Amino acid sequence: MWIVQRASAAVLAVCVVVHLFTIIYAVRGGLTAAEILERTRGNAAWFAFYSVFVLAVTLHVPIGLRSICAEWLRWHGRSRDFALLLFAGFLGWAGMRAVVGVFA
Amino acid sequence: MKVSVWRGGAQGEFQSFDVPRHPSQTVLDVVTYIQRALDPTLAYRFACRVGMCGSCAMMVNGVPRWTCRTHVDKVARDEKLEISPLRNLPVIRDLVVDMREFFDKWARAKGEFRGRGTRQDDFERVPPESPSRKLVDAGIECIGCGVCYAACDVVKWNPDYLGPAALNRAWTLVTDVRDRARLERLRAVSGDAGCHACHSHVSCTERCPKHLSPTAGIAGLKRAVAKAVLQGDL
Repeated sequence: MWIVQRASAAVLAVCVVVHLFTIIYAVRGGLTAAEILERTRGNAAWFAFYSVFVLAVTLHVPIGLRSICAEWLRWHGRSRDFALLLFAGFLGWAGMRAVVGVFA
Repeated sequence: MKVSVWRGGAQGEFQSFDVPRHPSQTVLDVVTYIQRALDPTLAYRFACRVGMCGSCAMMVNGVPRWTCRTHVDKVARDEKLEISPLRNLPVIRDLVVDMREFFDKWARAKGEFRGRGTRQDDFERVPPESPSRKLVDAGIECIGCGVCYAACDVVKWNPDYLGPAALNRAWTLVTDVRDRARLERLRAVSGDAGCHACHSHVSCTERCPKHLSPTAGIAGLKRAVAKAVLQGDL
């Protein structure tokens, strides 16, 4: 789990930087939803990039929350892990829903 | 000087004493003065008085320190001192804590040396300049005073966590070329109670009176465990 956490953090470091620079680049001179969708729809490369981004978040966030639950809330054991598994599923679902909506 | 000293067990309160100031006075001198001149019922631990045994560690103004090697000049704030038992350990009475849990964790981290030789074999030769010996040297001088353990927030949040001293000990054995219990030890120090729980706050390294870096040792253990997992050994 520690290895997954570190590996996903490395992926996220790249993804977040690319994401932020893309936003800054794209919003120069204003932006509308129609413009965004026009550029993003059917773009396989960005679809793949954001799918990896969502996957990294889905792995990274619940593992981090696992420690926070234990240390701050004293929540251990199977109930915590099951709840976080559900949360990971939600993150993956919500993330991919957005990716499919924008890029597919 | 006003000195507040913890009295009682886990439930207790601070008691205030007036202690005369002297040049080069240590915090241990202050505690000893209180016991000898003001209140003989005060319980505290000390032995060597020169920073060799580590038994006089206490919280001084909220920071874990060897009281024998801490000058009042350096830590008193507005001529006030607050002295309490080491954090993260059960209090027996006044300034004395129960160290059993601290040392039990050394055993749980497989902190004992396991070589391959027998008493019939010659000594193993380990060149002092070899990289692994240098890594061992960097962490070997721990005297088990418990200062790092009291400084560690992860121990506070996760009472099962083995703590900096036990993990530092495990690291000095993992890096020892003579060691023959590497995988067993790596298994013992990995997981939620082991090296992976460390958040690298570096409080242990900041407070260690021997200037060791348990943080570096724990990072080494994380790398060693990851390597063993990726190689399929764990």
